[in-house]
Amino acid sequence: MNKKSLMQKAAAAPHMVWSVLFIIAPLIFVVYYAFTDKEGNPTLGNITELAQASYLEVFIRSVCFAFLATVICLIIAYPIAYFMSKAKPRTQKILIMLVMLPQWLNFLIRTYSWMALLEDTGIINTILGYMNIGPLHMINTSGAVILGMVYNYLPYMIIPLHSVISKIDPRVLEAASDLGCSPLRVLVRVVIPLSVSGIVSGVTMVFVPSISTFYISQKLGGGNFDLIGDTIERQFQTAYNYNLGAAMSFVLMLIIVISMAVMNRYSGEDDGGVIV
Amino acid sequence: MKKKVFGNIYTVLIFLFLYMPIAVLILYSFNGLNSTSEFEGFSLKWYRELFSDSATLNALKNTLILAILSAIISTVIGTMASYGINKMQNKHVKSATMSVTKIPMVNPDIVVGISMMLLFVFVGGIIGAKSNLGFGTVLIAHITFNLPYVILSVLPKFKQMDKSLPEAAQDLGCTPIQSFLKVELPAILPGVISGLIMAFTLSLDDFVISYFTIGSGFETLPIRIYSMTKKRVTPDMYALSTLIFVSILILLLVSNLTSDKNREKMSKKAKKITKIVVSAIFAVIVIITAIVLIVTASTETLTLNVYNWGEYISDGGEDTLDVNKAFTEYYEDWYYKEYGKKIKVQLNYTTYASNEDMYAKLKSGATGYDIVIPSDYMIERLKKEGLIQPLDLNKIPNYENIMEEFRNPFYDNGEEKYTVMYTYGVIGIVYNKDRLNQEDLEKIENGEAGWELLWDEDYKGQILQFNNPRDAMGTAMYSLGINVNTATDEEWQIAFEKLREQKPLVQSYVMDEIFNKMEGGEAALAAYYAGDCMTMSAANPSLGFYYPKNADGKISTNIFADAMCIPTAAENTELAHAYINFMLSEEPAVANAEYLYYASPNKLVVNNEGYRESLGEDYDVIYDSDLEGSLEYMFENYAYRNLPDEKLHLLNSLWETLKVDSAAFGGGIYIVCAVIAAVLIAFAIYAYIIKRKRRKLYWTPKAKEQSIQKS
Repeated sequence: MNKKSLMQKAAAAPHMVWSVLFIIAPLIFVVYYAFTDKEGNPTLGNITELAQASYLEVFIRSVCFAFLATVICLIIAYPIAYFMSKAKPRTQKILIMLVMLPQWLNFLIRTYSWMALLEDTGIINTILGYMNIGPLHMINTSGAVILGMVYNYLPYMIIPLHSVISKIDPRVLEAASDLGCSPLRVLVRVVIPLSVSGIVSGVTMVFVPSISTFYISQKLGGGNFDLIGDTIERQFQTAYNYNLGAAMSFVLMLIIVISMAVMNRYSGEDDGGVIV
Repeated sequence: MKKKVFGNIYTVLIFLFLYMPIAVLILYSFNGLNSTSEFEGFSLKWYRELFSDSATLNALKNTLILAILSAIISTVIGTMASYGINKMQNKHVKSATMSVTKIPMVNPDIVVGISMMLLFVFVGGIIGAKSNLGFGTVLIAHITFNLPYVILSVLPKFKQMDKSLPEAAQDLGCTPIQSFLKVELPAILPGVISGLIMAFTLSLDDFVISYFTIGSGFETLPIRIYSMTKKRVTPDMYALSTLIFVSILILLLVSNLTSDKNREKMSKKAKKITKIVVSAIFAVIVIITAIVLIVTASTETLTLNVYNWGEYISDGGEDTLDVNKAFTEYYEDWYYKEYGKKIKVQLNYTTYASNEDMYAKLKSGATGYDIVIPSDYMIERLKKEGLIQPLDLNKIPNYENIMEEFRNPFYDNGEEKYTVMYTYGVIGIVYNKDRLNQEDLEKIENGEAGWELLWDEDYKGQILQFNNPRDAMGTAMYSLGINVNTATDEEWQIAFEKLREQKPLVQSYVMDEIFNKMEGGEAALAAYYAGDCMTMSAANPSLGFYYPKNADGKISTNIFADAMCIPTAAENTELAHAYINFMLSEEPAVANAEYLYYASPNKLVVNNEGYRESLGEDYDVIYDSDLEGSLEYMFENYAYRNLPDEKLHLLNSLWETLKVDSAAFGGGIYIVCAVIAAVLIAFAIYAYIIKRKRRKLYWTPKAKEQSIQKS
């Protein structure tokens, strides 16, 4: 018995060592760099620097953009997840595959081709031009940045929603309508409450990457809408100011933890729902 | 019925949205032109180019090796861990382990990336590693973010398995290892395989984490795409993406068709055949990788890592000379003749978009670069910090081709030489004739135009500005007549205000992205490096370009020289010297000069008849007599010098403020956001009140008891 349990412990050991070395230690370094200056002396200077109006605006902007992208994703994804769950099982399978298929292409190149679509002389405006509309100015606007977020992360909303909605027992819905609920009432009172866990995990999977993205705003926003991710990236790859970058990452983590806590509280006891 | 129609239309619309950019990408992979703004004729040219683009193929190979290795290692560690976690008795230890395991999944990618980068840089600094970042660090990072996905797909299989199975096996005489291999492993195999596949695909697609943990000389496909999207994505990348897309589509379709019903219908034989086919495909992939590894390992390989500006070398596109390829061939030949031994030169060529990017990369400890090509002021800084080493001019006999006046530039005028000049040039202003008004065009025509056009309200939203602090501040300072090197704090502040004033007019802050934007006719005006401006106007005839002058009619703009240096931590200085020497010989130097449109300090280039002819009128622009006459004066007064630390700090913080400041943008968004948030909060409060009311109504003491028991 002793020997056996020793072996069992040994089996998890490499992973535990790995976790300490490469998950926990790096996070400690983020905190360490966030609260030290270039010479390694402890300081709160980085955090106070972030309290400047201009950085506060970056944080507010990022939260706003990510929030809007998440809401839009939810609004777009819910109906399609619902319609998909009504299809035949075989069709459902193919539809899910089609939803995930674009994710197999690198997101950089997909975002880049949105540039070709949205530019003033781009494809959409050329087509509109034939219809004598426009040109509409789309690229380098906040709308374009949010569009990029919605486009890239929409599948992460559709999949968890679909997997929850398709598991709802159809008899429950029948019972509701037999008891006199209108279709709309069935949706609001039965289907949506039963899909909360899917909503929560979808929202998480869209909000977290949206708030931390650094590529989308550079390409579709023309560098005019600095988000948290852009600012962090610049500290590490251009400005060579690791301490400020680490402080920003620290605050970013705090924002995410807080918003997750708020959401989990609101959604009740659901434990994060499904993760695809 | 009506509902169904609506549902179908909606579904189709969403899929249109999801597939629109992919359709664009596929369309442009068949474009006859190298452009995303024009489509001309159907052609398979980019598919042919793809298979001769060694850098892209090399990146593809690297990506596959990384994905396979990290997937296998994380699957092994993750499966063992799942076994151990499943057997854990202590609940707290178990849940703590699971929470830690999930961190890389919950944390944003960028935080995972920078946290690992900080670890590697810090530890590398302590143990005095020569190079902090490299293949090993990316591999570690990939294994780390793969692990949670593997564990989450294997662990449930362990949980589902009947616990008495392994016990029974051991009672019947199996050793624990045997019982694991013969009983438990087959039961968990589906989980292990799906974990392996997931890890493989995640690693294949990862950009953000690799971006922060990658070192010199190792480039994955996403990283290559990233540096490409900074300037121009060559359509062969679209061709590659199309190929990847189509093969995945086929793979998924096949697996879908063979699943469920069909699989049941299939005879045992057919099942066996599919199994064999699948394992054969897998085996082929493994064998190919192994062969590639063995082949590359068997011939002695010399590696040279070159880190250069984007679009800054003749790269073999459109019938030009591929200088890097020419060098490897030349050196392999030379080595064979000299030592009678066959070797392979592996040249890893990566690019950066600004001096500051390059500096940050060198400082992060990705120091495996053998050649870097920074500009003057950055060279001063690198020299001061001991990041580059003196050259051995005996190993660079072609140094004599450099003209006398360029041998002692201000950044390198000591006894020992650290640099060999690559090109020099000035910043000019590129403009789109179709977008400028007549008056301004005439002004340019008469040589009276200066910097003020970049601040002209008429071109609001059509102006591009540098996306790096030194050059952007420079444009403001030259226009204000402030000396870029001796400016006081107040003068810096004034220049900053000037840029802030310009921000509402700026369409976007760009570096290499400018090529696409100007050539596509997206913008009216931009200040950029003259050679690049000429490249752009060669591609789009409606673009013109001028040297900005100040009030007294003298050219007042930045002049710069970029030079080849060898970093102190270079791994192959022998090869690096050979590379510099090669770049100075006639053929590659002329090819570069023709391709780049920058002035060359090399006398073999300037005296080359073919070069003069091929440039035509452009020759007089590049070696403009006004410019040439005042070279010394301009280098003295207009070139950037390395700034003292406190000025650098000021510059960086002003730049940060400019970048994050956006008074002019996006006000409406906040209002929309606030309204939605208010509605949500109101709804939450409403729902909460209703819930409480209901609880009061329906909750009997008995129900309460039950719910307490439940929880």
